[in-house]
Amino acid sequence: MHIPDGFLDLQISALTYLLAALSIGLAVYWLQKHGVNEGRVPLLGVLAAAIFAAQMLNWPIPGGTSAHFVGSGLAAVLLGPLQAVLVLASVIAVQTLVFGDGGLTALGANVFNMAVVGVFAAFTVYRVFERRSRVSGAFLAGWFGAVSAAVACGLEIGSSSIFAYSITATVPVMFGWHALLGVVEGFATSAAVAFILKSSPHLLGVAEVRSG
Amino acid sequence: MKKALFVIAVLIILTPFFTYAAELVGYSEPLENVAAALGVEEGAPLYRGILPDYTVSGLDPYVGALISAAMGSAAVFLLVYGLFRLTRR
Repeated sequence: MHIPDGFLDLQISALTYLLAALSIGLAVYWLQKHGVNEGRVPLLGVLAAAIFAAQMLNWPIPGGTSAHFVGSGLAAVLLGPLQAVLVLASVIAVQTLVFGDGGLTALGANVFNMAVVGVFAAFTVYRVFERRSRVSGAFLAGWFGAVSAAVACGLEIGSSSIFAYSITATVPVMFGWHALLGVVEGFATSAAVAFILKSSPHLLGVAEVRSG
Repeated sequence: MKKALFVIAVLIILTPFFTYAAELVGYSEPLENVAAALGVEEGAPLYRGILPDYTVSGLDPYVGALISAAMGSAAVFLLVYGLFRLTRR
């Protein structure tokens, strides 16, 4: 889902950089105002590293594509939206700057899609469904996180004057692919949440209270 | 914390195997498939990164993927740790 260089025109690139920067700025402001428990800081780093490592695993799907974990849903469920925005933005920044995964001109868009749109969509869905079942809510959070980020990506490349197709083509195609691939994301997210609920349930509750 | 570190270590160790499996099916990113389906070709990147495409120059791609996974995980940990240290109470 990482948009490469050459897909976004200057206006879309600048707009998404602005939106990403504003989102990160607001998250930092809010967290500085309310503070992050110092004891949780190493855990946040470990979770971010785990999301990065999980994204490295490309699950092969016969037919020539792959599904890899995005992590918007898992980060939103475990950390709440504000901490998740910073964690995902850090992962995407390292992927782009160290590994060239995603274009420099599209870094703002990639951060906005996966770390902002995906995170807030996932968190909203999870909050709606968590009372019925946290694990099912996590599945839906994973699915909505991946699909909403993909739709945002489709809107951006379809609105770009240098991309040959409009949003009427890009959005349905991006939605279609990721509606299927999002099922893998949903299962991975719900499996991770089920594991944490069983092994360290306090992590889930604390994260929600701190960042909610 | 130990469990989380163990999970990360397992994920890193699995990276070369998934790299190999992805090659077996002619892996490409979903967005690349979308672009191909629409007849759009990806241009040359403006910047290729320090370890382009999760490889290490001169090394086997599977070893490169393993090193990239380890280095990337460490880089992300340090970045997030530093970022959140600024906002701690």
